Amino acid sequence: MTKPDPVLEVRDVTVHFKMRGGWLGEGGQTIKAVDGVDLAIGSGETLGLVGESGCGKSTISNAIVGLVPTTRGSIRVRGQEIVGASGKALRAARRHVQMVFQNPALSLNPRATIGAAIAEPLAVRGIASGPALREQVGTLLTQVGLRAEDARRYPHQFSGGQRQRIVIARALALKPALVVCDEPVSALDVSVRAQILNLLIDLQRRLGVSYLFVSHDLSVIRHISDQVAVMYLGRIIEHASRSVLFAAPKHPYTKALMSAVPEANPAAQRAKRRMVLSGELPSPANVPAGCAFHTRCPLASEICRRERPTLTPRQDGALVACHHA
Amino acid sequence: MSPAPALTVEDLTVEIDGASVVDGVSFAVGAGEVVALVGESGCGKSMTALALLGLLPDAAQIVRGRIVLDGVDLVALPERAMQRVRGSQLSIIFQEATASLDPLTTVGSQVSEAYALHHSVSRSTAWGKAKEMLTAVGIPDPELRLNQYPFELSGGMCQRVMIAMALICGPRVLVADEPTTALDVTIQAQILELMKRLVADRGTGIVLITHDMGVVADAADRVAVMYAGRIAEIAPVDELFARPRHAYTALLLAAMPSLDHEPKQALAMIEGKVPAAVDFGEGCRFAARCPIASDRCRNQQPPLLESGPGHRAACWHADRVAGLIGSIA
Repeated sequence: MTKPDPVLEVRDVTVHFKMRGGWLGEGGQTIKAVDGVDLAIGSGETLGLVGESGCGKSTISNAIVGLVPTTRGSIRVRGQEIVGASGKALRAARRHVQMVFQNPALSLNPRATIGAAIAEPLAVRGIASGPALREQVGTLLTQVGLRAEDARRYPHQFSGGQRQRIVIARALALKPALVVCDEPVSALDVSVRAQILNLLIDLQRRLGVSYLFVSHDLSVIRHISDQVAVMYLGRIIEHASRSVLFAAPKHPYTKALMSAVPEANPAAQRAKRRMVLSGELPSPANVPAGCAFHTRCPLASEICRRERPTLTPRQDGALVACHHA
Repeated sequence: MSPAPALTVEDLTVEIDGASVVDGVSFAVGAGEVVALVGESGCGKSMTALALLGLLPDAAQIVRGRIVLDGVDLVALPERAMQRVRGSQLSIIFQEATASLDPLTTVGSQVSEAYALHHSVSRSTAWGKAKEMLTAVGIPDPELRLNQYPFELSGGMCQRVMIAMALICGPRVLVADEPTTALDVTIQAQILELMKRLVADRGTGIVLITHDMGVVADAADRVAVMYAGRIAEIAPVDELFARPRHAYTALLLAAMPSLDHEPKQALAMIEGKVPAAVDFGEGCRFAARCPIASDRCRNQQPPLLESGPGHRAACWHADRVAGLIGSIA
């Protein structure tokens, strides 16, 4: 989906991992973790990326922040190409993209105070030092609902939810245009999850930051996203605005995913006609030919086994990769 | 509820170093009934599960209460007798199915062993029983699977094997501790459907331990919401979601993004955090975080009081909870 002035533009991004083979490492399998993905995120917008284990949603977010090399494709941050960029250009572009991971305990150095953790990106780039740096750290902490005095404390003195706030403060330190959030609330209890979701939405309103929000949880995706992309085995199979996707899902996989998520409403849950998919998720090392979903799809026909469907626009603006939807 | 429940838990209290991590928990499970114990980290739901099976870690002890299965109090049972109960009349499955299976032994020998342990039968009879059971839990090509090792099976498949093992002796009650938490949603849907079908076909009672209100709504007949080691509220599933009578339940439901919640609108928050077991004090354990708490709540533990048919809530202000929902929605 094209945007007039996108913060992030991903074109045909492909990430393949070579597995080591047997004798002399020859004949190893290639895992097609991400295969020809296009994405665009506008300013102040949230793109939700949803899918199950192994669909490539974490790989693409890692590729966007440069943690995984791409095999092919282009990633532009505020118009600046970062694939193949180096030195100054890469450094400048990276400032605009920050990341928040699932497990905040593993994202923080246990031996550094949280003040030091948040100050580091600012100090490294020479943005602030001394009292000015301390003041900025204090501001960032209050921005995420902690106190400036907390800067002196260590990660273990905080709860899981508070640690995720600290990680968010650090991600915001350089005033990025985009924060990539990879399952940021999946390890948190329901009540804490609500606090972090509220915080992320509130920060977006105040700072105009964009999010790429990766999650396996459709109810969270629905709550936070403006646009939603659904991934299956390395490819986007449906991409639409939140309202269109949830009101009229088109790809059979999207429908199955929605019907599989149990709603916290017993009556609605009983009334729901559940579309239970048969079979297991194929391995990304062995993606089925044609449409990758055909092995589990109730609508699959001859053409699906032969020909890979491309994302094509529908009347309501949704992009769907299915021969029969 | 049926007149003679399969499992009755009365006033179960488990202590670790003098702190009651499970405190006065009572509930019953009828034949073919699914009772969910739901709550957040540290609420005591998993400790309750382990206590039922007599599998508590060394530091934890049952200091009070009864666990009555078919008229026998399991708390009073010596370990040898408990071993005969475990796996035959009462069994358990865990979240990490792959970690629960022995990686060095074939699926067939593990499942058939579960049967052979409690029945004096030949190896081939037990093997045949295992094959029958794998078929019952929807594993395609059971003959092949019996001869495979756990690493050759997916996570969803391993959980099916665990269920087959747990049900092979036809237990009265199955304790399922977060059985679908490690699985993808489409696989979770398959496992929940399977569990519901087995309950209906075999009349097994299930104690379903979960943190997921969606799973509760999908699979449970009755629900006990746990908070800080105690049952805050227990009710039939529809009743609980429609008319929560404990502030914690109401806030928990409002904190979840749901289909009838306007996107990007603030979710209800529960301020503060769960108190540590050593700081439980005399009053309601939720009082410090409760928006409608009064002095009475801080000083006096509310008992579970009847507030509807089969509906009991441990809240002094149960009649004000409906108003609380109105104010946060």
